Amino acid sequence: MTETLPETPEESTRELPPVEAEQVTEATRVTEAVDDTDDDAAPFRPGIGGWIARGLIWALLAWVVFALPGNILSPFELGVSDVGHASKAAIFAIIGLSLNVLIGYTGTISLGHQAFVGVGAFVSAYVVVDMGLEFWVAVPIAAAVGGLQAALLGAISLRLTGLYFALVTLAYGLFAEETLFGITAFTGGEGGKNVPRPLGFEDDYTFYYLCLAFLAAVLWVDWRLMRSKGGRALQALRENPRVASSYGINVKAYTLMAFVVSGIFASIGGALLAQQSTFLVPKTFSFQLALIFILMTVVGGLRNRVGVVIGSVVFALLEEGTLVHLLHLEGILDSTIGLPAEFFGLVIGPILLLLTITLYPGGIGQQIAPIAQWLRGRKFDIHAGKVTEVEVTDVRA
Amino acid sequence: MTTELGIAVVNGVFRGSVYALVALGIVLIYRASGVFNFAQAEFGTTGLFAAYIGIELWQWPYWLGLLFGLAAAVAMGLATERLVINPLRNSSRVTLLVGTAGVALAAIGIQFWQSNEQPIRSMPKLVEGVAFQPFGAAITYQHLITFVVLIVVALALAVFFRSPSGLAIQAAQQEGTAAELVGISVRRVSMMTWGIAALLGGLAGVLSGPNLTFTAGFLTFGAGAALLPGFMAAVLGGMKSMPGALFGGLLVGVIEQFGNLSILSDVSGGGAMMLFLFLLVVLLLRPQGLFVRKAVAA
Repeated sequence: MTETLPETPEESTRELPPVEAEQVTEATRVTEAVDDTDDDAAPFRPGIGGWIARGLIWALLAWVVFALPGNILSPFELGVSDVGHASKAAIFAIIGLSLNVLIGYTGTISLGHQAFVGVGAFVSAYVVVDMGLEFWVAVPIAAAVGGLQAALLGAISLRLTGLYFALVTLAYGLFAEETLFGITAFTGGEGGKNVPRPLGFEDDYTFYYLCLAFLAAVLWVDWRLMRSKGGRALQALRENPRVASSYGINVKAYTLMAFVVSGIFASIGGALLAQQSTFLVPKTFSFQLALIFILMTVVGGLRNRVGVVIGSVVFALLEEGTLVHLLHLEGILDSTIGLPAEFFGLVIGPILLLLTITLYPGGIGQQIAPIAQWLRGRKFDIHAGKVTEVEVTDVRA
Repeated sequence: MTTELGIAVVNGVFRGSVYALVALGIVLIYRASGVFNFAQAEFGTTGLFAAYIGIELWQWPYWLGLLFGLAAAVAMGLATERLVINPLRNSSRVTLLVGTAGVALAAIGIQFWQSNEQPIRSMPKLVEGVAFQPFGAAITYQHLITFVVLIVVALALAVFFRSPSGLAIQAAQQEGTAAELVGISVRRVSMMTWGIAALLGGLAGVLSGPNLTFTAGFLTFGAGAALLPGFMAAVLGGMKSMPGALFGGLLVGVIEQFGNLSILSDVSGGGAMMLFLFLLVVLLLRPQGLFVRKAVAA
């Protein structure tokens, strides 16, 4: 298209000052490579039958997400605890997206994300329980504090890159877990804290839809951010920070921005997590949780929102063996290899991860790419999303 | 105050011996595969569990149990290299890091599952009793043995890296392609490095396990957590220096003990706070490491 018509927007940007123009084209090229939105000259259009089939699948997906957990039009009788797991899955998806901003978009890895989530949870709990304010006030405060702590930590330590930065976040996570969350006046200590839910969302079913709404909001913000100038700058600097900075992109400022955004998302997830469990103890936010957050993001597929959400949901359900109970597999697993359901996630999860990164470096996002393409009204192509397109770029080290 | 400081230093040095063992393994693997090995501490816990099974459940003699534990650790190290690191050798560092974290989590999961009936375990010490008490800090024979083993291991490594096999490892780590051209099998070198590193991790596990009761994930985030201090020790040595990792481990052990001084008694988790602040200061002021003369080329 662009070669034949000189009046396309991409051509006209050539008229801009050279630095600006180069930056734009560089960024657009990166976006295209990632999203693969531009196809060949003759776009494929499915027939009526194809549209109906796609519509049916979309309806089925919508039913699973919206109706199934609320027991609307559902053949299963899901109990309250099952819906609790669904809420947890939605919250984990928010956390996964937050980590995706960091690992996926900027290529810096955070091993202390449980601290970010924990700060959000405890600030929100403090505002609701100790200050007696509403949940709707607590979430912005938690988000602000989460963003602030990310900004502080980032400002101090972002001059380190790659694995060294990961090490700082690891130390920060342990520091938060043992020292910050050990302050009894703030967290309520080992005894924990009982956090009431917001008015109108007390029961588990309505609370699930609240989590879903937050997830949708985070997804939307993430999508819009990545389409902005800052988002394109992030993608450029991940590919090569030196080239990016020679095009006038302030590498440090944009990485810090991504860090703050990630902190805000994680705090919102934490605030919801505090409400979801209704009983909050510092022990929840251990290093193991941070590892699980990283696993679910990478297994989901970096830079692939749908993949990250699916990966997070799978890992949230794998914890405590919920998925096994839902599928009624306890008997089979126990009798064949003697694996009790509550250890299913702990044992199978990491093995799943190792298989994913050795066989499909693009994660779930890569595996579902053919279906995702088809659902968006294209031809079914089993080779969609092959490795070259989802190449995982290096952490700067 | 002086007594208290003395206790902190003595305790720190003996606690730091475990960190130094872990750090030596981390440095070895970083030099060989360029990856921060998050499974390093898990080699130790796996070895500890295997030794426990041999000694307590199967009633083997102590030395046989220890050997079994170390063998299990080495087997795990070799399996990690073959099944995870080798297939991922061309992928990015973040993928490799996630891979080793996955190995650690898988090991922890299996330990949780297998120790379900009796989550908290304890193992007898090699030699019971207290060796001596400088400043009133009780140093057990177990601590002393750990320290001696660390020194022996460090000397053995120093000698080994001057032997032909050791030189081959160093050559392959510095320039893989050139090493292959002169007939060094990079594959065998990689396996050897992971085996030695896993042996060091296993030593850290079986020697520090009897000090306390242990659970699954003991060395990674349990009571005897040595993963983060081990990493910090390795960073102090600039990630590539073996003597640096050794002294770094001892120093980190002492710094952590300073967090338990009585002036910090109002703060919970003082040790973790000291470690975090210390790491920040070191990385900001001397990112190339404390014990390195000139900056290590990237």
